[in-house]
Amino acid sequence: MTVKWVGKRMVMGIIVLIIVSFLSFFIMQLAPGDPAAAFYGGNAQTLTAAEKERITRAYALDRPVAQQYVAWLGETVKGNLGTSYKEGRPVSEIIMERLPNTLLLVSVCLFFIIIGSIWLGTVAGMKAGSIWDKGLSTFSIATSSIPAFWLGMLFIYFFAVSLGILPSSGSSDIGGDGGLGDKIRHLIMPASVLILTHVGIYARFLQESIKKENSKYYVKVARANGVMERTIQMGILRNASIPYLNYIAMTIPSFFGGSIIVESLFAWSGLGQLTVKAVVTKDFPLLMGSIMVTGVIVVVSLLIIDLIMYAMDPKLRKGGIR
Amino acid sequence: MRSRKALLFWYIILGLIVFLTLFSSVLAPFGPNEMSMDEVYLAPSGDHWLGTDHLGRDVLSRLLVGGKVTLTVASISVLLSLIIGIVYGGISGYFGGVIDAVMMRLLEALITIPSLIIILVLQAFTQGSMWHMALIIGLTGWLVTARIVRSEFIRLKDAEFVKMAKMFGTPIWKILFGHLLRNSIPAIFVITLFNFAGAIFMEVSLSFLGIGIPPAIPSWGNMLYYAQNDILIGAWWIALFPGIMIFMTILAINFIGEAWKNPTWRRLND
Repeated sequence: MTVKWVGKRMVMGIIVLIIVSFLSFFIMQLAPGDPAAAFYGGNAQTLTAAEKERITRAYALDRPVAQQYVAWLGETVKGNLGTSYKEGRPVSEIIMERLPNTLLLVSVCLFFIIIGSIWLGTVAGMKAGSIWDKGLSTFSIATSSIPAFWLGMLFIYFFAVSLGILPSSGSSDIGGDGGLGDKIRHLIMPASVLILTHVGIYARFLQESIKKENSKYYVKVARANGVMERTIQMGILRNASIPYLNYIAMTIPSFFGGSIIVESLFAWSGLGQLTVKAVVTKDFPLLMGSIMVTGVIVVVSLLIIDLIMYAMDPKLRKGGIR
Repeated sequence: MRSRKALLFWYIILGLIVFLTLFSSVLAPFGPNEMSMDEVYLAPSGDHWLGTDHLGRDVLSRLLVGGKVTLTVASISVLLSLIIGIVYGGISGYFGGVIDAVMMRLLEALITIPSLIIILVLQAFTQGSMWHMALIIGLTGWLVTARIVRSEFIRLKDAEFVKMAKMFGTPIWKILFGHLLRNSIPAIFVITLFNFAGAIFMEVSLSFLGIGIPPAIPSWGNMLYYAQNDILIGAWWIALFPGIMIFMTILAINFIGEAWKNPTWRRLND
């Protein structure tokens, strides 16, 4: 049963990845103008006929789009993401340099967002009518209304420009030892921006689903029968966490979107910043590569959340529908 | 009672922002693109209430005109995604069965993609104007609307009054528009409000990355794009004010949306 269920989710993930690649690939083909000239960017006028010929052949630009896509897919599955137009290096090599930074940023943020929101949400949800309860909804609406990059700019102004205690950008000091302390110093600002702008909405969601559970009949019966409050709360939390996890799964794509912007602001040399760079320089293979890797990260995170939900929700295990 | 007063406050704030930006061409003390090389990086003062930027342009004037651009782009894109969302969700919800299953699987797949990525690709490979930007945000922003419309249609499809209407041979278009769509309006209204906030977010984010609205047109996002460098030399006013405007606009929309989301409140005010 479990194997079958996991298999089903994985197939869904692969379908998503195919749709993503298909869409991106065809949108890129819609680009007006000569793709060979696009490769040259600003220097398109100096493009000679021989050069153009070489580029066209190298990237199969003369074949129909569908054929190009199939060829690209075949190569991608083999692990070959092509060569960056601008840097002339294999895309997979460039991405592998960037990937650890993005994984670090995203996992640190998700860790604190989840821990923080469970804590805040539980406190606020269990104590109905308290300051926590009322304060959290305002806090959550306020923090989710702040553009993350603007908050980041304010942080840069205060902590880097005025106080000078944190580096304003980058993911490590140039010429530094590249040690852990250096990394953490660079991580603090981008991570706190992402955490602050996200923790509220998740906490609020958990708070509301705890309140909903709290008013259910089974809880009243348990209370009336003198079940220990702690046991009741654990039960409520467990049941409330299923819609909470579902909500995380639903919003995780937009979280990754947010991390792209924050990475760019802080010049955090990760995948998001790379994606934006590829867009600006119209580097087709690099863009496709970073999109696909981002897609894989999203799909894998969703799969992990699904597995946790599967472990927690007996209804899913018994073959119910979500 | 308290919350109703608070809501009134947010209505006023939003109304004020819309008013200021709508009449920006009259209210702006300077031309938004009027440069003055003698007056670069002036801190807020009596002449320039909110200071000037790196080309000596008046921040207040750009803020007002930029707001018009940002809000126009958001409005058009929301309208577009509203139409797509209603049509897609409506078809899926009304017909059900295989059509619904296929359409919903596709929707689920699309929701998994960070829409920012699709927008980035679209922006990169199709050179865009302001209208183009609105089109792109609209084309990628209809997913949640479609989902809400679908669930509303499914709920209403089996309601007594719709079954009755069908029994009496009411034409299908009348059922679709007069019964299903009309009764979905409260839910659609709420999601459209949140979509509006989302569209503003999208425009400012993209322009901030330097791939949104063309840099020659002032918008809140574009102002923040340049402010990135200005802040490093201590010119905080260039970054602060557009951010506050964005923050207040989205905050007002979110508070209003939250109030409308609450069904008991909605019933009280019908």
